[in-house]
Amino acid sequence: MKRYILRRLLHGIVLLSMVATIVFFLGRLTGNPVDLMLPEDAAPEDRVALIKALGLDGPLHEQFFIFATNAFKGDLGMSIRMRQPAVEAFFSRLPNTLAIIPWAILLGTCIGIPLGVVSALNRGNILDRAAGTVGVLGIATPSFWLGILLIFVFSVELGWLPSGRMGGPEHYVLPVITLGTFLVAGFMRLTRSSMLEVMDSEFVKLARIKGLHEGVVIWKHCLRNALIPVLTLWGVFVGNLITGAIVVETVFAWPGVGRLTYEAVIYRDFPLLQAVIILKAILILTINLMVDILYAYVDPRIRLT
Amino acid sequence: MNCRQGLAGWALTLLLAAGLAGPLMAQDQKGTLVFAVESLGAQTLDPILEGRPGNAVYQAVMYDSLVGYNFEKGGVGPGVAERWLLSEDGLAWTFHIRPGQKFHNGDPLTAHDVKFSLERQMAPNSIAAAAATMRRTIKSIDIVNDLTLVINTPSPQIGLPPALSRAVAPEGAIMPKAYIEKVGEEEFRRKPIGSGPWRFVRNVPGDRIEFEAAVGTHWRGTPNFKNLHILLVPEESTRVAMVRTGEAAIASIGPETMLSASRGGLEVLSVPGTMQAIFQFWGTYRPEFKGSPVANPRVRQALSLAIDRQQIIDHVMNGKALMPYPFATFGYTEYFSAERWWQWASGAYRYDPAMAKKILAEEGYPNGFELKFANTALPGTQFMVDIGTAIADMWTKVGVKVTLKHYEWGTFAPLARGDQVGLAGWASMFRTAGRPDVPWRYNGAFDPQADAHLLGEKDNCDATCQAFVTIYKDLGAERDPVKRTHLTDRMVELVADTWMVVPIIEGMGYYAINTRKVGRFAAIPGRHELGDVFERMPRPEQSPWKK
Repeated sequence: MKRYILRRLLHGIVLLSMVATIVFFLGRLTGNPVDLMLPEDAAPEDRVALIKALGLDGPLHEQFFIFATNAFKGDLGMSIRMRQPAVEAFFSRLPNTLAIIPWAILLGTCIGIPLGVVSALNRGNILDRAAGTVGVLGIATPSFWLGILLIFVFSVELGWLPSGRMGGPEHYVLPVITLGTFLVAGFMRLTRSSMLEVMDSEFVKLARIKGLHEGVVIWKHCLRNALIPVLTLWGVFVGNLITGAIVVETVFAWPGVGRLTYEAVIYRDFPLLQAVIILKAILILTINLMVDILYAYVDPRIRLT
Repeated sequence: MNCRQGLAGWALTLLLAAGLAGPLMAQDQKGTLVFAVESLGAQTLDPILEGRPGNAVYQAVMYDSLVGYNFEKGGVGPGVAERWLLSEDGLAWTFHIRPGQKFHNGDPLTAHDVKFSLERQMAPNSIAAAAATMRRTIKSIDIVNDLTLVINTPSPQIGLPPALSRAVAPEGAIMPKAYIEKVGEEEFRRKPIGSGPWRFVRNVPGDRIEFEAAVGTHWRGTPNFKNLHILLVPEESTRVAMVRTGEAAIASIGPETMLSASRGGLEVLSVPGTMQAIFQFWGTYRPEFKGSPVANPRVRQALSLAIDRQQIIDHVMNGKALMPYPFATFGYTEYFSAERWWQWASGAYRYDPAMAKKILAEEGYPNGFELKFANTALPGTQFMVDIGTAIADMWTKVGVKVTLKHYEWGTFAPLARGDQVGLAGWASMFRTAGRPDVPWRYNGAFDPQADAHLLGEKDNCDATCQAFVTIYKDLGAERDPVKRTHLTDRMVELVADTWMVVPIIEGMGYYAINTRKVGRFAAIPGRHELGDVFERMPRPEQSPWKK
């Protein structure tokens, strides 16, 4: 098992190095932050001075060497825009993102899984089709559109909820629904297909022959087995939500890491962008590693391959 | 009553008035003014770490500038300094500080603070946009007394006062010397102190900055609200929704949102003269373009005549824009014959496609020609892309075959510098921000050593290019206002006749306002941002602010 974990860790380090290299060079292809910091009629001397002050004056390979050396020591640089250590900026915003994710997951789990079970139990009839429609809409609806629509209906027209920003419990409702809609659809579809597969298996037939109550067969025996792939998806979704809340955080003016990423791109804040992507990559790699380890414990065959 | 008794009586009356006015004023300030804005820039309260837009949005709230605004006309006016004078030899500016100004901790604002602030802006660790220019143009700063200082320059710097005015740049922001020296830079950034009408309360990164009304009256205006919250809300639909629900009183919007905001029952405020959308030609003076249509001023004039500016104003800008003055000039431009040029522009920038076709035919292009056109928008003016698309379509109608290429600003900006290889021979969209000192902007566009160098380069500067250099040099040393106006007019005329840079419309800043949350107010002409206006905004139940 130790060798397995070590191997996964080494894979992670290689992957991280690749991510860091790609984000360093890709970021610089998007332009120069000085173009956004200076007015269009700035004097050339001011431009040169600012480039130097921001440490962007050396050749690219030199800048990369400095970045890689510092990154190896854990220093991911200083945000150009905020003049604050990029790592500090990331961790100051991370709690705001983590504050909505559990609720979105809870929403996805509480609605998506029962909906998937109901859909599987009613395969082909109107309930299944209705659930299927929910699934398709949930996956196909762009979150920026859904978010704006929810704001228009529940804030502007009905006046029930605030339009955005962090605050009391009422501020969480619309962002959580927007973020959770995709999860509802994802969990529903996976639970349904997994349930259909499990419901056809021999042990379920045996449970029914033994005369167990149908509710026990479905909710205890079928669902428990059907949830294994759902749990895998759960792990993947947590990572995706941390990295992919950009749109929701922008629409709802939520000061999380998603919006920090957006701001880093908009302002060409290279050090911040590098730090955010690298730290997100570390988070995802850690989550994936945990899922892999969990799987290895659950299924010993994985350890041997 | 003898003289002494009379004086005593007056003194008592003044004391009573001062004693009563304080508490009354405090009672009269109530409520929270909430402003939702798309960007808070660096979101730092240290002026040496923030650029012009961020400074004008939220730093202006708590810092005063050495030179201020003309609130009625726009452009430069008194600020921390109530007046300034140029020495006979043109090498020293004397600034007279307004007496009785105080920082929020009670320290008096003196010439020492001004010297300290300017030197801080020029320091090597400053990322102020004009730090290098200041280092070159300011030789030394001498303090004469607490309320007077002299800025010595190595050569005549006529444009120094505007450069230290928030109407142009953020570098004139005045910071408290004693406080910063006592607590250090880091602590100052955490708990900043200024002398403006609002004092700092809290900065929540990525979310908001909170201020509250400073104690006492202020020369810029005494706030009617007790608190001011500036919220960062990047999505425009959300900002408008917040104003509609009353979560915010004011939100910045783009022209494309004006109609929906009006239909939603909001008032739309437009600030005149904040920018010009323009099109310009790159590198046409180069030998390889000799004889090409883009190198011909009459052809460039024909392209201007082919543009229906009123259509653009009506349909792209939803009626909230104006016909332009010549390049980089506005109604508030200083030392400039605005009336004369307004008359000129209304004829020169008319829509006359028949004349455009006639000129093209006369110049040997009866069937048009191929024009490469780079369409781009500077940050915050996304509507420029729509304007670019519209004028490309209008050129097509007079027979010009336009190859339209869209560029994101970050990709476009590097092309516009250095040898401009990817852009030479092209036309492109561009913008100029509203500012009262026209020579600076012209120098940035036309000086052979400037980044854009649209008229020529160092080793290839024709008669027009050289004439521009001469006029600009003369302007820099001219102290007489009449002669300055004459020189500015000549410079504008020289450039206008080249049709190298052609204004399309004069744009405006736009705000959606909930009148149940804030009373009616006027913005400063030419100043898109509201950082210097919040203190003049009345509460809904109060009378509208009058200039």
